[in-house]
Amino acid sequence: MIEMTNITKFYDNFRALNNINLKVEKGEIIGLLGPNGAGKTTAMRILTCFIPATSGSASVAGYDVFEDSLEVRRRLGYLPETPPLYPEMTVGSYLNFIGELRELSAGKRRERINYVAERIGLTECLTRVIGTLSKGYRQRVGLAQALLHNPEVLILDEPTVGLDPSQIIEIRGLVKDLARDHTIILSTHILTEVSMTCGRVVIINEGEIVAVDSVANLERAVSGKPAWNICIRPAAGKDWRQLVEMHTGAGISDLVEMPETLHFKLNLEKAEDFDDLFRNLTGAGHVLREITPVKATLEDVFLKLTSAEERKEAA
Amino acid sequence: MKIFAIMKKELQSFFYSPVAYIVFASFLMIVGYLFWVILISSRMASLEPMLYNAAFILLLASPVLTMRLVSEEKKSRTIELLLTSPISPAEIITGKFLACFTLYLVLILLTVQYPLVLSAYSTEFDMGPVYSGYIGLILLGAAFISMGLFASTLTENQIIAAMVSFGGLVLFWIFGWAKHAFDNAFGEILGNLSIFDRYAEFLRGIVDSGNVIFFVVFTLTWLFLATRVLESDRWR
Ligand SMILES: Nc1ncnc2c1ncn2[C@@H]1O[C@H](COP(=O)(O)OP(=O)(O)OP(=O)(O)O)[C@@H](O)[C@H]1O
Ligand SMILES: [Mg+2]
Repeated sequence: MIEMTNITKFYDNFRALNNINLKVEKGEIIGLLGPNGAGKTTAMRILTCFIPATSGSASVAGYDVFEDSLEVRRRLGYLPETPPLYPEMTVGSYLNFIGELRELSAGKRRERINYVAERIGLTECLTRVIGTLSKGYRQRVGLAQALLHNPEVLILDEPTVGLDPSQIIEIRGLVKDLARDHTIILSTHILTEVSMTCGRVVIINEGEIVAVDSVANLERAVSGKPAWNICIRPAAGKDWRQLVEMHTGAGISDLVEMPETLHFKLNLEKAEDFDDLFRNLTGAGHVLREITPVKATLEDVFLKLTSAEERKEAA
Repeated sequence: MKIFAIMKKELQSFFYSPVAYIVFASFLMIVGYLFWVILISSRMASLEPMLYNAAFILLLASPVLTMRLVSEEKKSRTIELLLTSPISPAEIITGKFLACFTLYLVLILLTVQYPLVLSAYSTEFDMGPVYSGYIGLILLGAAFISMGLFASTLTENQIIAAMVSFGGLVLFWIFGWAKHAFDNAFGEILGNLSIFDRYAEFLRGIVDSGNVIFFVVFTLTWLFLATRVLESDRWR
């Protein structure tokens, strides 16, 4: 549905995107992740025909963004980074204007405006002047604008920025609903959002794709050695430490001593070692109060991938 | 039609902004004052001096009407919406031009009371130059607006857009002076570009097809250039 092949973008001499290759299938939700200035907005602007790539090609719904830009634009809904609003218009007349640009008939416009306004929680605001709306409501109007003509492909640049928590949850639900017959690319800095809505994540750093995979796979790939957070109540007069350290590669870190208990992070070479360790400790009379496996979160994945890149750069 | 969607939206925003009202009010005030002063001092039933001065005031006022047309879209980033919608730069420019031109026609329409007054109270009042004068005024407005619209595509700063179109219009206004400065082909060419000289002919009651074509071509040229600038913004 969406294809980017060897896309490179220069702003004068600054390289914002370097050789981006990406393929998105129909019905997928892709999350674009990356630190500030990574090139997410730039990539989206290329796909929406707002700016051209310096080299490489991109297509949406089978149409080239450069050759058949009009056909691409017909099939796209786009929420730019700054919601493109006319402050002097009312929400209703603004959405009506968008409907006219999007070639919807008068009846269809009315129907879609009512539907979209209801889904996004704007029904009460239709007669209000956009300039008087709060930031979150402006963001909703921007989102309504992108969805109005029920486009095949949705490109949303930070769609939930400025929304309140309950609205964020609703928008996530909406995005998931839409995904059934739409293809969606969204960018965000909220990592939980990606793990909750997106099938695949694309992590971009300094204009290059550093990873493309499902959230689960990425977390697995990054987590490395198994680790646990442990709280232990040692039996009096017995050494628990020695029992731990007899396993090769075992490591104890972040040790905190409380009056009765000890907290630490345990690293092992193999996950199976833990079974032995557990038996030995309890056998010796030590009490294990808490055992929590440490999992890599998307935050870890993100930080690791984006900072690894920086280290490479420095070397 | 998408052109009319743009046109309607532009007309709406003209009426939401105080700028259009201020331009209307000051133009009508000045023209009313001129009509009165000229009539009292000359004691002649002629509209020519008033139309002549009105054109100069429009030259000052039209950059104020056109300056925001595209600049504001660039500043508030709504241009990103327009350029990613299924509408071409030519349609955007045409819609905006038609909106501003409609506004201009309304403004001109509000001055027809003066020739009506003259024809009602004067026996030897000749309506011929009035008709041709108004044709000239309308063509002149199209020229002013197209150039202002072009200037507005160049920058996101409205003040700069206004200054560029004002400067450009004054330049074309005074090109006629070159005829006296250079007595050669160069002066001739510059003189032919003078919108003032051509407008003055309309005021004398002459509707010369060459002049009409000049204004139409002048307008289309600036609209075409404005479209190109908008298109080229994409290629940056
Ligand atoms: N018009 C422009 N001219 C010059 N450089 C630009 C332009 N637009 C973006 N850049 C640069 O390109 C790089 C990528 O910008 P981009 O807006 O795509 O980042 P982003 O990933 O969207 O960041 P953010 O998370 O802050 O939105 C940045 O370093 C930015 O400074
Ligand atoms: Mg961005």
